[in-house]
Amino acid sequence: MRQSVQELVALYQNNLFAAAFHICRDAQDAEDVVQDTFVQYYTAKKEFDNEQHIRAWLIRVAINKAKNASRSFWRRNRIPLEEYMETLVFETQESADLFEVVMKLPEKYRIVIHLFYYEDYAVSEIANILHLSESNVKVRLSRGRRLLRSALKEEWDDDE
Amino acid sequence: MTNKERYKQAFSTLHTSSRLSLEVEEMALLQKKRKNTIAAAAIAACALIIGGSGTAYAADVGGIQEKLSMWFHGTQTKVEVSDNETGGYTFRYQTQDGAAEFQGAGGVSINEDGSTTALSAGELLDTINQYAMVETDENGAVWAYYYDQILNITDLFDENDTCRLLLSHDGTFIYLKVTREQDGSCSYSQHTEPLDGEAAEDYLYIVIEGTSSAPQ
Repeated sequence: MRQSVQELVALYQNNLFAAAFHICRDAQDAEDVVQDTFVQYYTAKKEFDNEQHIRAWLIRVAINKAKNASRSFWRRNRIPLEEYMETLVFETQESADLFEVVMKLPEKYRIVIHLFYYEDYAVSEIANILHLSESNVKVRLSRGRRLLRSALKEEWDDDE
Repeated sequence: MTNKERYKQAFSTLHTSSRLSLEVEEMALLQKKRKNTIAAAAIAACALIIGGSGTAYAADVGGIQEKLSMWFHGTQTKVEVSDNETGGYTFRYQTQDGAAEFQGAGGVSINEDGSTTALSAGELLDTINQYAMVETDENGAVWAYYYDQILNITDLFDENDTCRLLLSHDGTFIYLKVTREQDGSCSYSQHTEPLDGEAAEDYLYIVIEGTSSAPQ
């Protein structure tokens, strides 16, 4: 099956942006990644099993593109994360703290944490998206949670 | 509030900007435009170091700080580096005909906390060396260069005009995907793992001894 690009943009553009931002930590790079991901969908002519298949494919492609972008030596001048955070509106100070702490985690923990807590993916689905073993995902999730718990104290429950 | 609710609340603030242009027709055009931009950027990145076909003489290159080397067309080339006082470096090397060429370049690395650190000239050259280069010569032959490897890949394209190579250097592997465009030019990208929807087996593993048959 295929869904129209317009439909997918409406559904997932912010999800892809958030996933890409977790890798790049730069809004402009993340926006480029979102754009490129939809362009790849548009040109790939790939058939999908269902909507969840499309969503997982889009997220996987966005993550791969974000990794490429963040490792490219040919990069524009980036806006420092602290500066970008000042442009964001957080509902609570706790939200701002959580955002900041997550962004300071190593990349390999950040993206696993994001897929679990934001995208509601199960460990097996994260393993599939990131091409990792389930045990590897569990380890990263566990270590990431521990770091969050350590930094945020009572603002983050121990849900191991 | 659960951790998932906390997380979603914190990151719901992330939105794409209104500048994101996603009309389908525009996207097709954008893809073409972006491909050209990327190609231009790649050429510019090379030009930063190797200069153009003409010779560019810098008015004042300052004192030479370091003598380094870089891989260019499969050959290790000595490069003299000086700080250009604008956050980058000026590189100077001797071409085969003896002309000196100068260009400036700079770069930053992104730290874990999001801050940036300026790359040293050596780090910058190391980074640039990690990227393969693909060129089409005047006879239409397509050549890939990666460190000391020089490879004529003209006959390695599949029916979709795509060539996938797995190259290695010092235990590091790169997946290089080259696509021949309708106008005969090639676009290429390299990755640390196969692209989505592709398998490692799709890539031809190449081990090349340095050859002397580089295109002139």
